[in-house]
Amino acid sequence: MTSHGLVYEGCNFFRQRLVLSTLSGKRVRIRGIRSSDDCPGLRDFEASFIRLLDKVTNGSKIEINQTGTVLFYQPGLLYGGSVEHDCNTQRSIGYYLEALLLLAPFMKSPLKATLRGVTNDPVDPTVDLLKSTSLPLMKRFGIEGEALVVKVVKRGMAPGGGGEVFFSCPACRSLKPVQLTDPGKIKRIRGVAYSVRVSPQMGNRIVESARSVLNQFLPDIYIHTDHMKGVNSGKSPGFGLTLVAETVNGFFLSAEMSSTPQGQGDSILPEDLGRNCAMLLLEEVYRGGCVDSSNQSLALLLMTLGQQDVSKVLLGPLSPYTIEFLRHIRDFFQIMFKIDVQKPLEDERKGGDKVLMTCVGVGYSNVNKTLK
Amino acid sequence: LKEQTAIYMEEEFGSLRWKEGLQQKASDAFLRQQQVAPNLRKLVYASVPESSSPEDENEELGGIFRVSYPQNIKKHQANTVDCSRFYANNSHDWNSEEMFNSIRDCFITGKWDATQDAA
Repeated sequence: MTSHGLVYEGCNFFRQRLVLSTLSGKRVRIRGIRSSDDCPGLRDFEASFIRLLDKVTNGSKIEINQTGTVLFYQPGLLYGGSVEHDCNTQRSIGYYLEALLLLAPFMKSPLKATLRGVTNDPVDPTVDLLKSTSLPLMKRFGIEGEALVVKVVKRGMAPGGGGEVFFSCPACRSLKPVQLTDPGKIKRIRGVAYSVRVSPQMGNRIVESARSVLNQFLPDIYIHTDHMKGVNSGKSPGFGLTLVAETVNGFFLSAEMSSTPQGQGDSILPEDLGRNCAMLLLEEVYRGGCVDSSNQSLALLLMTLGQQDVSKVLLGPLSPYTIEFLRHIRDFFQIMFKIDVQKPLEDERKGGDKVLMTCVGVGYSNVNKTLK
Repeated sequence: LKEQTAIYMEEEFGSLRWKEGLQQKASDAFLRQQQVAPNLRKLVYASVPESSSPEDENEELGGIFRVSYPQNIKKHQANTVDCSRFYANNSHDWNSEEMFNSIRDCFITGKWDATQDAA
């Protein structure tokens, strides 16, 4: 067993396992991947993810059995550089980008990735959301510079895709420990209402209904409409909304919603989408914390890999994905977090319970990075 | 006769004393329960029972036939969709004024602490 490193079961949490394996250098073996399914084994999007991982690393060894139900992964060095990848359209680029965000700071040379595929779908965090919340969070840990960019070059909605995203991130030697404990009050709400291959009026209808809900709390709301045309509009019609609330201390909470992909279930009216998305943002505000629910695992990973110093981050309730991520961090890095529940005071109207996460970093330093 | 009834009454009061302030007791107990925060660390890191190791060997029953055991919950979760999104709590009705009021102070338009200043 030891020769195979860590052993896991099933296809869930696939990305976390491979990403943490790459960062820690520990081999991993995943078995029983959809073994009792009618169509067993790895799906195309997982294979596409493995190919992307192979592109950004050097010397990785991947073995998959004939039915695709067992995967063995021996990580190589994180290489980075310029990478182009056609992401499988079963999942959106967000699925791939989430994992790249975790890996990018630890590359040998700065990563410049061009990803093609679906930019927005209702399942994964969209590129717009990651751009407006994950990047500011990474800056807190000292990953910054002009090179830290996510840009939507072409928008492509599910199921057809045809979108393109450029992501670049500087390589970084070591991370700063952080103390993110006071979120502060929300001072403004920004957003993007995007639409492609539908009437440009859709954007305005979304904005109006979202504002009608959020204006009850704040006057400072600006939702930008983004209507891409021609070659930049991908292959499928659709629309959606991303909302981001910014606090006085510079933290971001986000929510989003996309229209149902063409030919998959009931369509949704732009007015309903706007209103529902605004309510999702209120839910996110209720959960609160300094990091929103979709970036919890990114924050926890950067804390783990920080210098050997105490880091603290206040989060909302932990998502099931994050809980599993914490367990994986323990497996790969032997780090356990101190988890304290903070209950709001009785006369405070600041939403639900918060969770304060504390840990001491492993003192990870990027030895791959070339010195100049 | 009067004395007897008095004693009887007294006895009745004595026996019924436990009923006094039941509501108060119940609410105290409830609050105490609420005070005890769940130990999240235990919940997160508690050892999850690992699925029995090499099942291929010990489940072999006469050549190519295998006993198929019902999948337990953990295995069920093991093959669900790998997605980081945290879906909203359905019990929160964001059409109600009550929920709106529960987050008012998260915005700069809400109430500020005495120590902080809006400027």
